[in-house]
Amino acid sequence: MFELFTNMMREEWRVHSTLFGSLSFALYPVMIFVIAFMGSFVLPFFAAGIPPGYPSIIIHAIFLLLGIMVGGFGLMGREVMNRRFGQASLLAYSARSLPITERHIFVVFVIKDTVYYLILCVLPFVFGFTVASPFLHIPLALPLLLFLTLTLAFLTGLALIFFLSTVYARSKHVFILLCICGILAGTTLYLSHSLTPVSLFPPLQLFYLFSWETLLVACAVILIPSVIAAMLFTTEFADTTRKYKPLFTSLARRLSFFPYPPLATKDLLDLERSGSFVGQVLFSFLIPLCLLWFLLSILTRILPAVSILLVFSILTGVIAAMMYTWLTMLDTFNTYSCLPISVPTLLSGKISSFTALQLIPAIFIAIVSIAAGGLAYLVPALVICLSVSFYTLGVTCWLTGLSPNVLIYDAKVLVSWFVLVVIALFAIIVLIVINPFYTLASSALFLPAWGFVKLSYAKWNTREQPGF
Amino acid sequence: MAPVIEARALTKMYGDTIAVDHVTLSVEKGALFGLLGPNGSGKTTMIKVLTGQTRQSAGSATVLGIDVEHDPIGVREHVGIIPEQETPPSFLTATEYLDFVGAIRKIPDVQKKADGWFDLLEFDDQRDVLCKDLSRGTRQKLMFTQAFLHRPSLALIDEPLINFDPIMQRKVKDFLIGYVKEGNTIFISTHILDIAEEICSEFAILNRGTLLFTGTVAELKARDQHLDDFFLSLVRADRHV
Repeated sequence: MFELFTNMMREEWRVHSTLFGSLSFALYPVMIFVIAFMGSFVLPFFAAGIPPGYPSIIIHAIFLLLGIMVGGFGLMGREVMNRRFGQASLLAYSARSLPITERHIFVVFVIKDTVYYLILCVLPFVFGFTVASPFLHIPLALPLLLFLTLTLAFLTGLALIFFLSTVYARSKHVFILLCICGILAGTTLYLSHSLTPVSLFPPLQLFYLFSWETLLVACAVILIPSVIAAMLFTTEFADTTRKYKPLFTSLARRLSFFPYPPLATKDLLDLERSGSFVGQVLFSFLIPLCLLWFLLSILTRILPAVSILLVFSILTGVIAAMMYTWLTMLDTFNTYSCLPISVPTLLSGKISSFTALQLIPAIFIAIVSIAAGGLAYLVPALVICLSVSFYTLGVTCWLTGLSPNVLIYDAKVLVSWFVLVVIALFAIIVLIVINPFYTLASSALFLPAWGFVKLSYAKWNTREQPGF
Repeated sequence: MAPVIEARALTKMYGDTIAVDHVTLSVEKGALFGLLGPNGSGKTTMIKVLTGQTRQSAGSATVLGIDVEHDPIGVREHVGIIPEQETPPSFLTATEYLDFVGAIRKIPDVQKKADGWFDLLEFDDQRDVLCKDLSRGTRQKLMFTQAFLHRPSLALIDEPLINFDPIMQRKVKDFLIGYVKEGNTIFISTHILDIAEEICSEFAILNRGTLLFTGTVAELKARDQHLDDFFLSLVRADRHV
């Protein structure tokens, strides 16, 4: 098992490093380190305006989210084995040729991914904070404790989504039942005992007050769902070759208002038939945003509700921009390479499908605005969400073309993406602070978004298209 | 008459590796041309460059009179291409994929044309199955269909028979010979020499990216030489060099 694990780690490194060059990929954790190191120096400024403990909530929330983003193993199942690994001949696919069961390989694969992302993201972050702490007169024990609690926060998110996604893949009815039970239990506990997010989140509780009992609870919260998920996980799906009634032509006719109806139709069928649409909306959009809203809601004690709503709209915009990756992960450029379609046409097709998907964040923000009693700020919230989403899309297209899921791990690309997006977000936050209605000016972001898209056409039309 | 394919000192490099090295060749209209070579000799790269799927590093090429570097989409509009790895979209059915190709290529009555291919290549019972669930052989049949759906005057095929059973191989060989007789041109790349000897009228041998020979099968037969002996002697000699 250990040998398989080390070989998978080596393989994962080589997959990434051969794509970007070893140095470029090795710079990725270095960049996380630099961000954490420099970010630590900003903490004293926050401390002046925000009650103690709040920055730690935000940092733990970020790592919880990271775990959630990484943990959708249960959804992959056959698709991972067949599509992602099938053509690449990775070790994860070696159950066919070696005397190892698929479950065994899968468990090692999950452990490998967990360790890999810990090394890639969590460790450099904590290390950056640790190196900065002597300059900020922070006792060394704190970064060590932070390493433990951030790791646990990351693993909690990962285990939660691993469990939920596996249940979802097994039975959608059980999943819905489980979600309803979870929401009811959470609401009851919250209302009857006035519980805070801290008490519902063991890693954070541990950060505030270390005890072995809390550590045990935190570990149990990770281990129990992970073990159940590993037991429930299956790649053995009933081998039914399902037949479908041809829908393409009639659907393309109905989508004739799109600039490229055949491409939009294909995207729509891909999303629906792969099961990605419901899965992604749930696990990559609704659940992370609900958690964010829950965590942001505690800031209402120090910030006006309007600001929270608008900040939430910014975050929704950033997460909504990730919908572009939903559209690009289901096919490769090879699919189109024998047809007379140019890369700009393909990009344009994906962008129009993306535009249609933006109905989801728009409806979501409208519901949140009304539910939060911020109906008066519905228009600014919508404008912020959509302009941030399209601006981030433009930046993503320009930097990663048709392969955002892979090229974003190039350190140079990630730094550029981060800088360009943060600048825009910072400008909107300043507007929120001055006057919430000034944020309507964020609609100006559509202009650079359009510019980046045009630049991406020129850039990717002349580049060799990677086959992933 | 101008050649259908004309490559002049065509070179393709991947980093420091030379995949195709100053290849000059021309293919006349009506030929069934075979590009032969061992694994890794640059055959697939050559087809990719000629169809504008990848850009050459040096040299030039025209296909049906169109410059592949300046108008790759124009080339792909007019030719049929069957890539080595069959990659139809996973979540469309076979019928829907052909509808998709028809919509992109603006082919009228696409289903009527597709029906004929479902019959000819015997995969009518698989037409409503998602491409990801099709066997490799059926996927190759589908890729064959998409390449000929618009009746191109030139088709470029990378390893045309590799996933087919002997019965289907015979059928496809007959089709290719018949298609050329209608005045069209076929360019195939393969390392299976029997196929080339049986169906090709002209051939070229590529090794380590370099063109070693161009000629006709008839010339070889006149010299009472078998293609595989000739191929092996040339490639071995080149390796010693």
